[in-house]
Amino acid sequence: MTLVAGLRAAAYGVPFQPVGGVHGSDLAALNGWRKIQDPYGSGQEVYVIPAISPDVAVIHANEVDEHGNARVLGSPFWDHPLTRAAKRVLVTAERLVPSESLAAQPELTLVPGFMVEAAAVVPRGAWPGSMHPLYEVDYPAVEAYLRDEDGVLEAHLASAPEQNNVGRDS
Amino acid sequence: MSSDWSSFSYIVVNLARQIRPGEIAFSGVNSTLAMLACLLAKRAYDFHFTYLNVAGGVEPVPKTIPHSSSDPALVEGSPAIFANEDFYDLCARGALDLVFLGCAQVDGEGRTNVSVIGEWKNPKVRLPGGGGAAVMMPTAKRVVTWRTEHSVRTLVEKLDFVTAAGNLQAVVTPIAVFRKRDGRLALESRDPQVTLDEVIRRTGFKFDASSAKLTAPITVRERAALEGLDPRGEFASAVRA
Repeated sequence: MTLVAGLRAAAYGVPFQPVGGVHGSDLAALNGWRKIQDPYGSGQEVYVIPAISPDVAVIHANEVDEHGNARVLGSPFWDHPLTRAAKRVLVTAERLVPSESLAAQPELTLVPGFMVEAAAVVPRGAWPGSMHPLYEVDYPAVEAYLRDEDGVLEAHLASAPEQNNVGRDS
Repeated sequence: MSSDWSSFSYIVVNLARQIRPGEIAFSGVNSTLAMLACLLAKRAYDFHFTYLNVAGGVEPVPKTIPHSSSDPALVEGSPAIFANEDFYDLCARGALDLVFLGCAQVDGEGRTNVSVIGEWKNPKVRLPGGGGAAVMMPTAKRVVTWRTEHSVRTLVEKLDFVTAAGNLQAVVTPIAVFRKRDGRLALESRDPQVTLDEVIRRTGFKFDASSAKLTAPITVRERAALEGLDPRGEFASAVRA
């Protein structure tokens, strides 16, 4: 949540963002977070998190059109503050759709194309993670990837389904 | 499943018993047992409460029970998406009643460490971090944590690092339930299969046991709900005794 506060500060164009909580946590000293008195006199002390502006945000969307308008179905997790805070936004998407289909329900577009620098169509691009509602977490692949052994990373990359034209049915 | 508690059943059911009627309760990432507790409470108890989770689900009715407590399956059947920004803000403004937050270590004052074992700059184990714990623990009305290992290295007098402090009210382990009283965790109840001496021996912090009881047995409905959530015993087998 402190991370989101930092992203929000960047998105809002201000140097820091107040955040609830944090009191009593060693994370404040570790990260050099400061707290300020409410300037309006409530007496509350509030931690303020410095702005975090990622150089690049990469998000995976369900659908993208040729202008980079990106639709995300299901839970957006951090996509909204992340794309507003970042200096550049890149999109990967499950499939390319005509702009008219996004315009039919514009409220489902999480990032408008004018903010998107580039987009790529990458079916199964969230693998071995999930992409609602198309596919679930590939738990065996995640478990295989977690093994601390030689060759695990190479095997993981080689088995990426989009490399093998698996899942291009969506 | 016998009438005796297992580590698994004890933790999940006693977490579920923390939920009160009418509350808004939340389970986060890496919190499978808390997720199961919320889903169990929905099945085993007659009262209403609102279940939110880190996947963005509001009152989800998942078709299958996911391994991960952040799996998008926890949005299935949800009439709304109430995702990360929303539930953190809800908590920060004091409107989240009960938050289940995991920990690696908990101390006698109910503070938690999810950051590091050893020195920050020279860690023995680097832990995944608190997620939103530092924000949620002081701002949620009540926080409950759990540990699958009840030992002097998990229930400690002094934390290696204070990730979060605040409104932690209860700790559930495989053998005991602690509740905060006058700023310290006190033993509320223990598994009848375990002696008070064993709880003391396996706990790193000093605690008051003067009003400790034996944990009430698992009910028929709780057992049925647990079996329904874990019909093949996959979750149960992941919790060591």
